[in-house]
Amino acid sequence: MNLTADNTAVVLDSTSDYAEAPSRFPNMRFVPLYVRFGDETFKDYTELGPADFYSKLRTSPVLPATSQPTPQDFLTTYESLAGYERIYSLHVSAKLSGTFQSAELAASELGGDRVRTVDSKTASLAIAMLAHAIQRRLTRGTTDVELAALIERFQRDNTVIFTLETLEYLQRGGRIGRAAALAGSLLNVRPILSVQDGEVIAVARVRGQKKALAEFERRFSEATEDRPGLRVAIAHADAPEWVGTLSELVWRVRPKAEIEFTATLGAVVSTHTGPGAVGFFWFQDE
Amino acid sequence: MQLEIVREVARAALQNLEAHRQRIDDLNVYPVPDGDTGTNLVLTLRSIVETLDASSAVGSEAVAKEVSRAALMGARGNSGVIFSQIVRGFVDVLARSDDMSTPRLRRAFRGASDAAYRAVKRPVEGTMLTVIREMAEEGERKENRRLSPPTFFAAVLARGEDAVARTPEMLEVLRDAGVVDAGGAGLVEITRGLTLSMAGEALPDAPVASEALGFDAIHLELSAYRYCTVFVVEGARLDQTLLERALEPLGDSLLVVGDETALKVHVHTDDPGLALSAGTAVGVVEGIEIANMHAQTFQREERLSEAAATLSPLPTLTTLETGLVAVCPGLGNRRLFEQYGATRVIEGGQTMNPSAAEIVEAIEATPAPEVIVLPNNSNVILTAEQAAGLSTKPVRVVPSRSVQAGFAAVARYIPTLSPEENEAAMLEALASVTTGEVTIASRDATLDGITIRKGAFLGLVNDCAVVADDDFDAVVKDVVGRVLEGEREWLALLAGEDAPPLEELLAALQHDHPEVEIEPHDGGQPHYPLLLVAE
Repeated sequence: MNLTADNTAVVLDSTSDYAEAPSRFPNMRFVPLYVRFGDETFKDYTELGPADFYSKLRTSPVLPATSQPTPQDFLTTYESLAGYERIYSLHVSAKLSGTFQSAELAASELGGDRVRTVDSKTASLAIAMLAHAIQRRLTRGTTDVELAALIERFQRDNTVIFTLETLEYLQRGGRIGRAAALAGSLLNVRPILSVQDGEVIAVARVRGQKKALAEFERRFSEATEDRPGLRVAIAHADAPEWVGTLSELVWRVRPKAEIEFTATLGAVVSTHTGPGAVGFFWFQDE
Repeated sequence: MQLEIVREVARAALQNLEAHRQRIDDLNVYPVPDGDTGTNLVLTLRSIVETLDASSAVGSEAVAKEVSRAALMGARGNSGVIFSQIVRGFVDVLARSDDMSTPRLRRAFRGASDAAYRAVKRPVEGTMLTVIREMAEEGERKENRRLSPPTFFAAVLARGEDAVARTPEMLEVLRDAGVVDAGGAGLVEITRGLTLSMAGEALPDAPVASEALGFDAIHLELSAYRYCTVFVVEGARLDQTLLERALEPLGDSLLVVGDETALKVHVHTDDPGLALSAGTAVGVVEGIEIANMHAQTFQREERLSEAAATLSPLPTLTTLETGLVAVCPGLGNRRLFEQYGATRVIEGGQTMNPSAAEIVEAIEATPAPEVIVLPNNSNVILTAEQAAGLSTKPVRVVPSRSVQAGFAAVARYIPTLSPEENEAAMLEALASVTTGEVTIASRDATLDGITIRKGAFLGLVNDCAVVADDDFDAVVKDVVGRVLEGEREWLALLAGEDAPPLEELLAALQHDHPEVEIEPHDGGQPHYPLLLVAE
């Protein structure tokens, strides 16, 4: 079957931090997770945007928690895509959230093989980057086989490094993974983390923002070449000053790279990173 | 080489060295508290004596092997490590037969000298090395060949004394400080003990200080138990072994020392009450000290388990790729290193250098397949390297020369990364810091062009004296200014156990250097009111 943007839909969950997807591409959908402050529950982005989330976080006496979309949420979305012959449903790492399981349940409820659920083994803008990579192929026409190969390569090659003000949020949310070995807050020390095999891992510990930036630059330039098709994304949790700094870094180190996304992390992802988080993503596409 | 004879001469050497320990400790080049050579040599030698006391080795080879091993394991400080090599070279020659004639002794001194030189990457003359080499050369002189062993020893000893007296001529730092080399002086005292024993002459009365040393050394060892419990039992006909047996099941780090009328007990246990009951069962208990060693650790663990109970979608098993053993003085520094993830912290540093055996033990007890050691003291680096060689695990020594340098390195430690990656990150950290320290001069001296009066505060930057004054704040400000030269963003201060209150000084420093992140910690190290590091 020849897959195109007309017969194939792409479903994202809100951990992709790509809320604009449906308005930019008619074949894309965006299913929110939930964020809860005490008894109040909000749909990520649609009911609680990043800016409102950060101000709530500053004033709320309770800390937020998150929960995955229900299988019904996905089922409703899949059913609304009746005009599409194929649905690629892209999700945050199953090791970080139950979202993928919800999507799988919904897909099996629907029956058949119309829905292809994908564990991206990563999070945030990396999923948005995968959506774009798929969309580029749909635009020119592609096949399931080609997309499967792309997804496999993406899972292996895409890189995210991020730094947090503190590991506390990641730890409290139980998403700390192998970085647990660094648990505990240390004065003036920033952990540099990555996601590997769908899990958070620690890659370095540095003192101060400048050192963190130097570490980003070192890893980025060691892992990439200045070639067309190199795509980069920058995300932050209420720390917009990093966007300019990291953009300049990309232009200086890899002038041929394309900065595909810059975004503020949404309520759900921010619940687990805490304010001050900065993520830097890259993927070498064709 | 027979066990009884070796036992006797080793004891004699120890006894004579003990008598001179203080004098040798005081032969510091720098008027700052430093790794005490006399103490280090005593502890190294004591390890040999204790091993021999417990030994039932038969035959030269077996005895030699035990002596070598005990010296290696007991080695403390640079002088202890070099001495352990001297011992090894010496007994290796004697291992070959029971013959202890003059020609064999001659070859033993030669073996000792060669082994010592091999152990040091860049041999420096005017040190212990010169002394052992000259003693070996003296032994090889034609006119000494026919001497009986006791007279042979006397001749070698005389040359050793002469060599020690000439060490200031060979080393400028010794001449400037007006002292002879401490390691060399120690080696001569050890040889004198051997010589006196060979000649059957009386040894000096040595002050016995084994008790105090033993306690200090283990008091702060990491323990699985919560309470460090110390008390004294007084009574009549106290049985040390029985009390030990009663206490053993209660915990670890057990020490029971003393005599029939008073026994001092040290034990780490979760139930200090039971330990005290064991004491009251046999006598009157006094001087009780109970400290909760893990207050902080426990709080942290409780917090973690709470967090895990409320959320955690998936259980995570974290295995360490790389363990970290650090040597550091002071409770505050120890906690700091633990907070940064050090898997084992050995108390020690400036004046109490740990033995190779202690470091090996910490390495072996670390739940990781490979281990990095931060010696955190220039006088512990060699010992750490020796320990690395003795351990069953692959070990990398990241040569941090001070606690504060080690503090910069430990921040980079990530247990789940490979040893290569950790080593590279820590070495990078060491290369990018400037360190400083403020201490109290232990005597009048002129050092690096600075005139220092005894009792004044002395400021050093990267191990060089830069300022001396009676005003603590003035010295700190001067040192901070120098440490921050270049583009420094971060300054850590480790306050020592005898540091004055720092609030006002900190405010003044922050005012003078608004761009710098100043991070004060309560380090608790002795002798150094303030340690500094800038990155």
